[in-house]
Amino acid sequence: MTNQLMTKKSSSKVERVNWPATTVLVLCAVTVLLPLYVTVSMAFKTQGQAVDGNAFSFPAPFSLEGFVQAWTLTNFPVGAAMSLLVTAGTVLATIILAAFASYAIVRNWERRLFRYSFFYLLGAMFIPFPVVALPQIQLTGRLGLDNPFGVILLATMFQLSFSVLLFTAFLRSIPMELEESARIDGATTWQTFWKLIFPLLAPMSATVGIFAFLYAWNDFMMPSLIISDPAMQTLPVRQNLFQTQFSNNYHVSFASYLMAMAPAIVAYLFTQRWVMAGVTQGAVKG
Amino acid sequence: MGLGLALLAGLLSGCTGDPGESAKETIRFTFSKREAIGFMTKLVADYNASQDETEVVLDTSGVDVVSASFVRGNPPDIALANYNMETSRFVQRGALSDLSGTEAASRVREDLRPLMEQYGSYPGRTSALPYSVMASSVIYNKEIFAANNIAVPTTWSELIAACEALEAAGVTPFYATWKDDWTIAQGWFDYSVGGQVDTLDFFKKLDAEGVDVGPESSVSFQKDFDQPVRKMLTLAKSYVNKDAASRAYGDGNLAFSQGKAAMYLQGPWAFSEIAKTAPDLKLGTFPLPMTEDPNDLRVRVNVDLAAWIPEASKHKDAARGFLEYLYRPEVIDAYNKSQLGFTPTKETANVPDPRIEGMVEYYENGKVYQGPSVLVPRTIPIMNYTQAIVFGAPPASTLRTLDADWARLAFRQ
Repeated sequence: MTNQLMTKKSSSKVERVNWPATTVLVLCAVTVLLPLYVTVSMAFKTQGQAVDGNAFSFPAPFSLEGFVQAWTLTNFPVGAAMSLLVTAGTVLATIILAAFASYAIVRNWERRLFRYSFFYLLGAMFIPFPVVALPQIQLTGRLGLDNPFGVILLATMFQLSFSVLLFTAFLRSIPMELEESARIDGATTWQTFWKLIFPLLAPMSATVGIFAFLYAWNDFMMPSLIISDPAMQTLPVRQNLFQTQFSNNYHVSFASYLMAMAPAIVAYLFTQRWVMAGVTQGAVKG
Repeated sequence: MGLGLALLAGLLSGCTGDPGESAKETIRFTFSKREAIGFMTKLVADYNASQDETEVVLDTSGVDVVSASFVRGNPPDIALANYNMETSRFVQRGALSDLSGTEAASRVREDLRPLMEQYGSYPGRTSALPYSVMASSVIYNKEIFAANNIAVPTTWSELIAACEALEAAGVTPFYATWKDDWTIAQGWFDYSVGGQVDTLDFFKKLDAEGVDVGPESSVSFQKDFDQPVRKMLTLAKSYVNKDAASRAYGDGNLAFSQGKAAMYLQGPWAFSEIAKTAPDLKLGTFPLPMTEDPNDLRVRVNVDLAAWIPEASKHKDAARGFLEYLYRPEVIDAYNKSQLGFTPTKETANVPDPRIEGMVEYYENGKVYQGPSVLVPRTIPIMNYTQAIVFGAPPASTLRTLDADWARLAFRQ
């Protein structure tokens, strides 16, 4: 919608370019595009060309060697499947649990238990994973959760506080009257939530989902420490192999990063408009 | 997502399945040296095919994961890993089992034992066995040396003369990569100190002094390292590339492969990197001479790989079986040949690669030392200190800081 407005505006005022702003924006675009170009071109280079000191040169000869090596070294299909499992699990669990919790908290705000549980959940934002890593490694080990499911559980827990914060803010803007009308029609709390509130939360769920997706897909530390069976390791951990002090394998690493980045970029492209919608919608209503 | 779940299901069934096929005991083998994974994968496959009692699974997920597995109580059954201060924590706390009864242990060279024990030991146990020793010294470009009629220097004054001759011919004597602090610590600092100070003796005394390390103690960094560090600065100030401060390890490999300098203070790991851009370059090695006596020449070594079996492993016997296989002469020789490493067993049939030939006599005669930079616990940022010295910090006060840090750490422990 904003795009349409913009094009209309610029076409009516013919040929007036705001040069300073354009320059700044072009520079900003370059900071994103240049590294991306290096990543892509590096991935298609041969080993010799990858270390020759000319990062910006075009790959010649064009080589798929990096991709082949990255594919086999990381056992890409399995790694991607694990990453996908962990990410999907974390996204679903975060959206559902955070929505549940936020709904309960917002509708019972006047009760002390709910108010304090909100603060309790928010408190987790102040605890970074490394601080509690050691006990959690032991705990998950003892409970048989030293696998992707343990990671889903922990990642969801860490995502919960921020997501609850987002959801509660959004929930407050939904008028009580809507819910009262559903009650009059005889809906239970459960039905009200699923039939009325949860659909209304959709834009915010998309936002929460994207945050959870990016976190779970890119996380290195938690899966590396929690998952004990190397066969079940996620992609970022498998890729750690490429970064060593003594050797540079830019072409293999970049090919591998490119393959790992692809889902995140695709997911963002598809859900981007919901994020925008979520932000603007909230702003208009508030 | 459907695809992911399908793959997962396949994987899980693959892990738990095949009960009827055989009752092979599965052991997990941790190995994460990136350059040698191809070699090890083949080795493991050969071993698995050669017998039907043990199935070795190669785990390449790295060091952090291993630490976590110790915390969890399910460490790998056997590992070949870099031997350093970090691994020594497992040794000192008795987390690794005794390997003294194995045939592999009996084949390891006796004179390497002090090097292993320098990192600490557990009473009555041989906790880890060296598998691959990396020797490092000055890498030099044979063609440049020959073109300028320079012989390999064996004394400090010969070294300075060689540098002068190279300078006169318009060749940069040393290529330095000071942007990466570890290259200063590993090469410049360690070679300079190790070429003059007996590090084995020095650190033994330093440990004994503990909290008393300072200007009054029998040994101290400020006293014993002052002279070597000054000599290092002599080289660092006059005979390096002008842009040394902004060059990183990767740049150094590239520049050296292009013949931009005659000497390079790096270990054998740099050879394969240099070969990426210059596979036919003729390179050699010689220990950095720091005194006027050629008998003082020594090379820096580190135990690149050591084998250990955790106490908490439930498959120690099977792991020992695999350990013996790893130490078979043809296996250990083949591995070290492929990685330009030295075999730490008493008898070896390895013919050294011409690039590391220059270090053979020193290694075989035990004229080796471990670099002081790796013998200082990681809590003390020695790499940064060495970088500061090279960048112009006064060496005397920096070494005093090092003493103070050492004493403080000893006080805390």
